[in-house]
Amino acid sequence: MYRGMNSIGLPENGRWPSLLALTIGLAYSVVGFIQVLSGLGIIPAILGTTDVLGGALLVIVGAVFLTGVKPLQENNKEGYAYIAVGYILAAVLFGLQVLVIATNALGWLLRFEDWLGWSLTRDLTPSFWMFIALAVSTGSLVLIGAMRSKLRPTAEVVG
Amino acid sequence: MSREPVIETEETIPSDEEMDIDPQIRLADERYEVIGQILCETYEPGEGKWILSDMLDRVLIHRYLGLPIFLVIMWAMFHFTFQISLVFMEMINQFFIWVGTYTAQIPIPWLASLLTDGVVAGVGFILTFVPPIFFLYLAISILEDTGYLSRAAFVVDRIMMKMGLHGRSFIPLLLGFGCSVAAVMASRTVDGRSNRLTTLLVSPLMSCAGRLPAYIVIAGVFFPAQAGTVVFLLYLLGIVMAALVALLFKKTLFRDESSSLLMELSMYQMPTAHGSFRHMWDRGILFLKHAGSYLLVGSIIMWFLSAFGPGGFGVPVDQSFLSMIGQFLEPVFRPLGFQWQIVSALVFGFMAKEAVVQSLSIIFAVGGAGSLETALAAVLSPASAMALLVFTLLYVPCIATVGAIRKETGSWKWTGFSIVYQLVLAYAVALVVYILGGLFLV
Repeated sequence: MYRGMNSIGLPENGRWPSLLALTIGLAYSVVGFIQVLSGLGIIPAILGTTDVLGGALLVIVGAVFLTGVKPLQENNKEGYAYIAVGYILAAVLFGLQVLVIATNALGWLLRFEDWLGWSLTRDLTPSFWMFIALAVSTGSLVLIGAMRSKLRPTAEVVG
Repeated sequence: MSREPVIETEETIPSDEEMDIDPQIRLADERYEVIGQILCETYEPGEGKWILSDMLDRVLIHRYLGLPIFLVIMWAMFHFTFQISLVFMEMINQFFIWVGTYTAQIPIPWLASLLTDGVVAGVGFILTFVPPIFFLYLAISILEDTGYLSRAAFVVDRIMMKMGLHGRSFIPLLLGFGCSVAAVMASRTVDGRSNRLTTLLVSPLMSCAGRLPAYIVIAGVFFPAQAGTVVFLLYLLGIVMAALVALLFKKTLFRDESSSLLMELSMYQMPTAHGSFRHMWDRGILFLKHAGSYLLVGSIIMWFLSAFGPGGFGVPVDQSFLSMIGQFLEPVFRPLGFQWQIVSALVFGFMAKEAVVQSLSIIFAVGGAGSLETALAAVLSPASAMALLVFTLLYVPCIATVGAIRKETGSWKWTGFSIVYQLVLAYAVALVVYILGGLFLV
């Protein structure tokens, strides 16, 4: 847990990470706003967007990512802290929703009265599917980065 | 020309007391000065010393993001407590329903009624709240073990200072989420008499675990889709009211004393399952002991008062001793939309906050009103339910907390004051909520 920043292996150039933080931040903020609006009944509900407070929380997560954009553009490594905390918060909200789905599914399996009308789609809130999208997209970027660095070394050594 | 040297004597150098410097801050300054000197001689700064803990602190105690992040974590904690425990509560509920089918068949009517409507409907009912209470303690333990709670104190400190509370008041107030007695006792760590008294008087406004059953039942019946959010907002209301009342006290009753919050923030750690579950168990077991002692005795007393009346055993519940108490006080609470059953439950809530829903469960069970949920929906409107939630949050703490306040203040005057101000506050806020709720809640 207490590794130095060098051993964490952060890239020197913050251009792409800043773009990543901007994209994720905007995505979370926009979806959060949509959730707030649909929770207030101003726009029709999309998948699981009925909880106003849940929407506000997504906006906060988005704000954390967006605050990291400027320091990353300036190649300031402090910017990675915002990405890390943004991820942690998004993961906490996702993990919580997974637990909610699991316990609701248990109630449905046990045929308890209050769970008879439960359906999975009702619990697929933005905090759930946004994190999956976030994890998949970030995972892909990491994979692409790793593949690029594997293909490059010979050229770099020669150069 | 020679200048006379300026000799600093004890008269020319003001003392810490004259400069109003907290001795603890002076002590910490000295300590850090010594640490600094040692480091200067031994430590050579290198690169890459910025560790993950610093990295997280940069954001978690950020000037503007710190508080919203704290709210996200608080919401997650209460959502976890409420939503995850629902299915486990239902399991325990089904178990006691099953037990009740056997106790109801006992051929001696009074014994069958005592066990079914008193013990099972009372203690059995309150035991269904073991999961949320244990989950709440688990969440607090995890936050504590990661090291986030001390950061939360730091984040909230700025607001607390503005609101007139001492920065160190956060810890007693936080303990208030578990038990008000612990919060009152912890207020002795706050510097300065007026700061200490303010903290002590407002700490019962923080929502203790004993109030959670009432929130879960009432929010679940009247606001099922938003129950988790309602519970979270009640906890938030407790914090806001504590801050506002502290501000009022500071402006009116107590001389303003300001001192800084001095805390050493330990590094973040990954909580261990063993440690977190151990902490949860140590705290949660107190609730089980409570249920097995005070609440068991209380449920038997409640059953006696509900099942007996001037006409003896088996009188209708609205002619019982309990209804006489409730109906006597009902006119006072009529503006809040509370009927005698609710009033009686609130009276018994003075013994222990868990007794509010326990009493309602027994009253409706003895009265044969069907399930508690159905009975509550019949005697409360959504607006009066909201008022009841707010009243339960803010009104006079349990008798154990009152005892702790008496012990810590050493004064009956302050103890009486704490009871009266909380009753007035709870009534006033609940009335406002009832009036506003009447406009917005159908």
